[in-house]
Amino acid sequence: MAKIAIIDDDLDILDASSIVLTSKGYEVITATNPDDGYKIVKKNKPDLIILDVMMNEPDDGFFLAQKFKKEKFNIPIIMYTSVSKTIGMDFGINEMVPVDDFVEKPISPEELIEKVEKLLHSQVGR
Amino acid sequence: MMIPFIPSWADKYIDYWEAIRKRNLWLIKLRYGAVIVLFGFLMSSELILGLSFSKTQNHVLITVNIVILLYNIFLHWVRRYLKCIPGKFNPLHFSLVQMLFDLTALGLIVYFTGSIETPLFMLFVFHMIIGSLILPGVVMYAVAAVVISFFNILTFGEYLMLIPHYTVHGLLSEPLYTNIKFIIAYDVIFSFVMTVSVFLANKIASQLYKIEQQLVESFDKLEAAENEKQKYIIGIVHEIKSPLSVVHSYLDLILKEFLGPLNPAVEDRLNRAKASSSEAIQMINDVLKISRLRLLDEIASEDLEVEKILSEIIEKVSIELKEKEISFRFVDERKTKRIIRGDKFLMEIAFSNLIGNAIKYVEVKGKVEVIIKDVEQHIEIDFNDDGIGIPEKDIKNIFTDFFRASNIKHKQYEGSGLGLAIVKQIIERHGGSIKVESPSRLGNIIKPGASFYIMLPVASADK
Repeated sequence: MAKIAIIDDDLDILDASSIVLTSKGYEVITATNPDDGYKIVKKNKPDLIILDVMMNEPDDGFFLAQKFKKEKFNIPIIMYTSVSKTIGMDFGINEMVPVDDFVEKPISPEELIEKVEKLLHSQVGR
Repeated sequence: MMIPFIPSWADKYIDYWEAIRKRNLWLIKLRYGAVIVLFGFLMSSELILGLSFSKTQNHVLITVNIVILLYNIFLHWVRRYLKCIPGKFNPLHFSLVQMLFDLTALGLIVYFTGSIETPLFMLFVFHMIIGSLILPGVVMYAVAAVVISFFNILTFGEYLMLIPHYTVHGLLSEPLYTNIKFIIAYDVIFSFVMTVSVFLANKIASQLYKIEQQLVESFDKLEAAENEKQKYIIGIVHEIKSPLSVVHSYLDLILKEFLGPLNPAVEDRLNRAKASSSEAIQMINDVLKISRLRLLDEIASEDLEVEKILSEIIEKVSIELKEKEISFRFVDERKTKRIIRGDKFLMEIAFSNLIGNAIKYVEVKGKVEVIIKDVEQHIEIDFNDDGIGIPEKDIKNIFTDFFRASNIKHKQYEGSGLGLAIVKQIIERHGGSIKVESPSRLGNIIKPGASFYIMLPVASADK
């Protein structure tokens, strides 16, 4: 089964996401800061990365995503955002924000599973 | 580089330039009026007042009048291409040019209607006052000095027979231009009135400017304070949202039985807890939305077709419309589909809020309609419904943050009371306006309904 890395400084969000994803049979690895996140991704080569946009610094998530992109990890990334798109901060998926999808907090289990499955599925087809 | 002629504060103050531009236009219109009055006077003075002009006088006066008309048409045309750029030829230089033209024409008219004997000299004072209100004092004192010298030279020149005098026959019983006492008294008073007019008008204008400047400064300070406030709100609300998101996420996954089956009593209470946390998150999102809108310096500006945005939203709510069996009408009454400029995303928020409200507050089988109209340089969009309406005493407050009308507070309608405040904010950021009426045109006594009228400026072709 697919391996998913979750990187978020909020332990509860890590916990909740893990519960949802492991229940679907995914193997979950976690990190609570960008440095550790980078390390576990490099070491374990997961099939998908879930990344919180804000960690210690407001843009940590973006920078980490850019780093993955630059070093050609070629792993799909879902970004957790708390500033919703409905507020008018429409990040959009582009060069600056090299992620494949967004999930807005609070996390809805169905939405998370759906997006994860969609990305993993498209990855198989690549 | 031209002498800027600009009061120091005006540089960054866009309204100042607009005011000057408007004043220029106003003077141009006034001048057309003056031309008509002068022609009328020349035509009728002989008949009504019994005045008679010599051939030369008649020729000169008519020529001057035609020249005024021509240069006024020219100025009117030039004005359109005038840009408000400090340092280049701008409306202030334009004002000075206008005034110099006018004073020259007036000088000729005064001379050919009898110099010291004509009442038209008063118009000089009028020019000094208008000029002083917009141009710097130094310039106006110089202009006044030239006019005073001109008038003094003229009157003494005529007295000494160095300059030919043109009398208006039938105006005075005795010539005045040969009366030295009168000339001296007249010239002294005239010079005095001219100088004092410039002085006083300048003084008043500069005081007005100063007050205006203080107002502008206070406004800037207020705006800065408002921005601080919004940032503070965003910061705090955001901090509250994080833990609340955790609570909500956990509730959700427990309710979805990721941690095992629930007993019905627990499930029921957890559902209630989730409903409350949903409401809180919704409110937080609304607050963030509004604060961010207020902080936004510039909104995106793209060409928008309102009918398309509305169609998309209507498409999205079609299920709700069907479920509530609402009779829905969407009419585009416009002849041409003109576009507006703005932020599509924000427009969607505004429109879907209004349509959402209409659906929310009508009963089953109620009526909702959306009409697009042309109103001069605006597009009007009406949202009408026959729902519960808005009590008269509440109508003035419905665009206020957190305000909820008294007839929905204790009922089943959920909401933070921020929706319409957001709508208003968005519409105003697009240079538009929003009005509300209740009862609406679809309403009756039992179901008054409400109408919201949005006006949005049409995108002009030259932008």
